[in-house]
Amino acid sequence: MRTEQTMTLEIFRYHPETDSEPYFQAYEVPYDEDWVVLDAINWIKDHVDGSLTHRWSCRMGVCGSCGMMVNGDPKLTCAAFLKDYYPRPIKVEPLVNFPVERDLVVSLDGFMEKLQAVKPYIIRDDVNDTTGGEYRQSPAELARYKQYSMCINCMLCYSACPVAGHEEEFLGPAALALGHRYNRDSRDRGRAERLDVMLAGEAIWGCTFVGECTVVCPKHVDPAGAIQQAKAVAAQEYFKRFVMPRGAKGAET
Amino acid sequence: MSGRYHRPHGWAWFLARPGYLRFMARELTGFFVAGYLVLLLVTLCRLGAGEAAFAQWLQELSTPSWMFAHVVALVASVWHSVTWFAAVPQAMPIFMGEKRLPAPLAAVVMGYGPWLTVTAVIVWGVLR
Amino acid sequence: MKRSGEAFWWALFSAGGVMAALFVPAFVIVTGFLLPSGDAAVAAERAAGFAGLVGWWPVRVALLGVIALSLFHCAHRIRHTLMDLGLRHLSGLLKLPCYGGALAGTVWAAMLLRAL
Repeated sequence: MRTEQTMTLEIFRYHPETDSEPYFQAYEVPYDEDWVVLDAINWIKDHVDGSLTHRWSCRMGVCGSCGMMVNGDPKLTCAAFLKDYYPRPIKVEPLVNFPVERDLVVSLDGFMEKLQAVKPYIIRDDVNDTTGGEYRQSPAELARYKQYSMCINCMLCYSACPVAGHEEEFLGPAALALGHRYNRDSRDRGRAERLDVMLAGEAIWGCTFVGECTVVCPKHVDPAGAIQQAKAVAAQEYFKRFVMPRGAKGAET
Repeated sequence: MSGRYHRPHGWAWFLARPGYLRFMARELTGFFVAGYLVLLLVTLCRLGAGEAAFAQWLQELSTPSWMFAHVVALVASVWHSVTWFAAVPQAMPIFMGEKRLPAPLAAVVMGYGPWLTVTAVIVWGVLR
Repeated sequence: MKRSGEAFWWALFSAGGVMAALFVPAFVIVTGFLLPSGDAAVAAERAAGFAGLVGWWPVRVALLGVIALSLFHCAHRIRHTLMDLGLRHLSGLLKLPCYGGALAGTVWAAMLLRAL
């Protein structure tokens, strides 16, 4: 319902070709209790300032592209309702712990590299061999990783994670949860080579289980839980080396 | 590509979110529990020094400042237990077929239950 | 890529975290509140009970395990807290005082408990 009221959005602005430092610009937007923050930003872009740059696509919590800091909290702006903030002003910033490309748009480069690093796909020698039919999986086997497969790569977890901001080597919540998702998949045989990546340096060990990644995740993936489980697997593997030298590496699920 | 803006990271990052403060409270239990363990070793040391020395040490421990130190140690160690038992179901999921044991139940089975049992047995062992 | 040796320290941290969570509050109650009781007669009786309990060797072995693992738990947690607070570049160097301290505490505990 559109009303006569308005509210203020204070938006982070940064255009690299003209600005050496970012600044905040206040915009007055109509207050509609059905609107989400993304609607208000789109309204500004369409009616007030076409130079405002932001990412969005599905506006229904599936695509994962409209993540921003809303009053300091990483949120999907398509799921952050104005009525939850009205009448106070809303401060909108690009996701923290990422370099800012322009206004509300952050660089995805580092995140994409980290996602690819964990080999987020099923690894097995006979992956193209269909002579035996499909690779079957029971509902119980599916249940072991399904939660970790719900990630939409919105990167809110990276903005909630202090370690992601401080440690370059840290692969971060989403990438590690995705690696763990494949490690728990009964069809996969690539656990050993995936663990080689996940357990190197600070890739996983940078995590100190702050747990805020899980708090902000819009898809209830629980990356914090996934990471601790992966660490427990790592500890088991570490001590197994002494019990079973060589051998069973990679065969287990 | 140049021109990207990198926002600064301060050392005071833990003030940014309430969850970070809760995290710091949990991590700081490490210092207090370590301090208590040293105190426990001193107590065992006095116990080894004979009955009189032990009685004198216990007399010392009954002063208000040591009592306060133990209240702090108790709060810190209980906070460690509570946060640890909250984390256990996340870190160790238990599946029964397709169903995952609900977190509160897992915390009771793997945390609070054993905790209360151990505490009761130890207190009983000393008081009996 | 070479796997980090951190798994070893994390395993000690994790096992010690369980031990500390289960045992340390009870230890604090005993040594901080039950033993230092005001009444001399009660105190002597409880001290005797405590000495009797610790005099039993399986209790001493268990005590050593709990104390050692809890020390390594604390050492790891302290090291990572310091790293999170900005000493990340010293992560290797911090191992020495943290785990070294836990090891020293373990050796001291072993000597004390052996002598009891």
